Amino acid sequence: MADKRREPRDKDPRAGGAEAVPIGPAQMVKPLAAALAGADPDAARAAVRALRRLASAAGRPGADDDRAAVVWALTPYLAKDKPRELRREVLWLLADLAGGETVGAVAALLGEPELREDARMALERIPGEESLAALRAAFAGAPEDFKPNVAHSLRRRGVAVEGYPSARLVPVKGTSVGA
Amino acid sequence: MASRRGTVSRRGFVKAAGAAIAFPYAAPSGTFAAAGAAGPGERITMAHIGVGGMGTAHLHDMISRSARGRVAVAAVCDADEKRLEKARGLTDRRAAAYRDYRFVLERKDIDAVVIATPDHWHGVQTVHAAECGKHVYVEKPACCTIEEGKAMVAAAARNKISVQVGSQGRSQPEAYLAHRYLVNNLGKVHRVACWHYASPVGGFEPDGEPPPELDWDLWLGPLRWRPYNRAYCPGTFRWIMESGGGQIRDRGAHVMSCAKYFTGTDGAGPVTVAATGMAPARGLWDSAVHIDVTYTFKNPDWVLTWSQPGEPVPAEKRKPDEARIERPGYGAVYYGEKDTMVVWGGDGGTWAERKVREWRPPAGAVDVYRSPGHMEDWFKGIRTGAETIMNIAAGVEVAFLCILGNLSFLLGRELTWDPVAQEIVGDEQARRMMSRPQRYPYTL
Repeated sequence: MADKRREPRDKDPRAGGAEAVPIGPAQMVKPLAAALAGADPDAARAAVRALRRLASAAGRPGADDDRAAVVWALTPYLAKDKPRELRREVLWLLADLAGGETVGAVAALLGEPELREDARMALERIPGEESLAALRAAFAGAPEDFKPNVAHSLRRRGVAVEGYPSARLVPVKGTSVGA
Repeated sequence: MASRRGTVSRRGFVKAAGAAIAFPYAAPSGTFAAAGAAGPGERITMAHIGVGGMGTAHLHDMISRSARGRVAVAAVCDADEKRLEKARGLTDRRAAAYRDYRFVLERKDIDAVVIATPDHWHGVQTVHAAECGKHVYVEKPACCTIEEGKAMVAAAARNKISVQVGSQGRSQPEAYLAHRYLVNNLGKVHRVACWHYASPVGGFEPDGEPPPELDWDLWLGPLRWRPYNRAYCPGTFRWIMESGGGQIRDRGAHVMSCAKYFTGTDGAGPVTVAATGMAPARGLWDSAVHIDVTYTFKNPDWVLTWSQPGEPVPAEKRKPDEARIERPGYGAVYYGEKDTMVVWGGDGGTWAERKVREWRPPAGAVDVYRSPGHMEDWFKGIRTGAETIMNIAAGVEVAFLCILGNLSFLLGRELTWDPVAQEIVGDEQARRMMSRPQRYPYTL
């Protein structure tokens, strides 16, 4: 079993390896991802649900092989050529399930304005040194308007950050009611 | 498992009842902010955050109280401008209107807030309100994650505020009778079996653009971003797992609240949680349609079950002069070593079976706390510092039951819970799901 896991892990998950996974629940990822990205919204919603169940099962205690295989199968769907909603959903599945092996693919999304906040939250949740290092790197290189978000994640992970105080109590949205 | 609560202290209330003054919307006091035990007759200045269905009911109630001089409604707030306009109209346009609740919190003159926003906002807004020194009435369920709940308890303690969670079943007249009956007649309770009808299936509409009056970003708040869909709101957030969590979290926060209160197990949690159920096959709503959960408690040993739909106990027939059981579709059976007891409802409608209502305590019987009403009990907490009947620790514990049931269902496995540390143990994925990253800046 260990040998089966080693081979796909040695490849770059962004290179496209979903078809290559030969075992267990990971085989279900491809058809479900296709349904999620398809034109039928009802089928897409059912696919999201099924993917979450699949990730839940793969994350059970003692099922390290299933977990690794599902993470491996999911990660290629973060690629830029995949539909945005699929990528967003995969980010959150990986946030529940993945370890350091997928951090590079997740961190790559921090540069995309429409997905960077989901990627930040995923990195905040994924434990380990790799995700923390990715957040540190992100903070150093983030545009000014995104630095407070990353600073928040770093603080959540126990890192002291200079500047960029939390804006969580700062009101910004006015109303015309009663004006 | 006798109740730990004593009999009611009525100090201050007689004075308060006679303190009505003539300017219900007059300049607010700020007297009670940050938890001082101030004079019972002084007016509390309120703001209402979230003025939809339940929020409007609270606003009506508070306006009625303001006419008696007990409170002043200084502000209303909602992410929906139509609702906001309507709410402001209810105050004769005297209350200030805000879309962003943080404008409310920065006002030093506001003593207390009623939070009746969608469930995914409860944790963040309660913590923020506490940090700003406001007393809080927050609708149930108290929180959506374990982390939120712990943060709420810590923030309330740190800032010495009074919090009442809106599981108002504990304050109903027949809840008092049920509580008293159980303590005196059931002996050791070994099982409480809750039943509730199924969660609905729905949300078949495609995503679209939010209506112009709705600030969708603010409505989502801490939740991850997603396109607007009219199946999310108003009210239907209840059927979304990330927000309302279905019937088990919506009404479970009522029925199981009564169960923990009557059995005197506030402060205790289960050691295992095991759920099975059925998710909807179609639609946007993703909460379990059917779900059965078994919670096992130790020291003392007892079992709490949530069965959705389970086996409802038919409503008893009542005499014409008795309060009718309006919602018999949910409730609980209490099994003790000496007797059993049925309670229907558990929220604003709580009904005890006939033998409970007709029981007359003999000499030497134990009495239990009789709530003056859920809101009044909160006001007592604000005025005197007394613990509220559904204080934040108790409210969070009940929400944890609901959350853990859903988590066990979602994960498809039994969870082991450390009730002292309030943590899942032995399951890395489940532990990760005790919290949920939040969209900045709508964060704890």
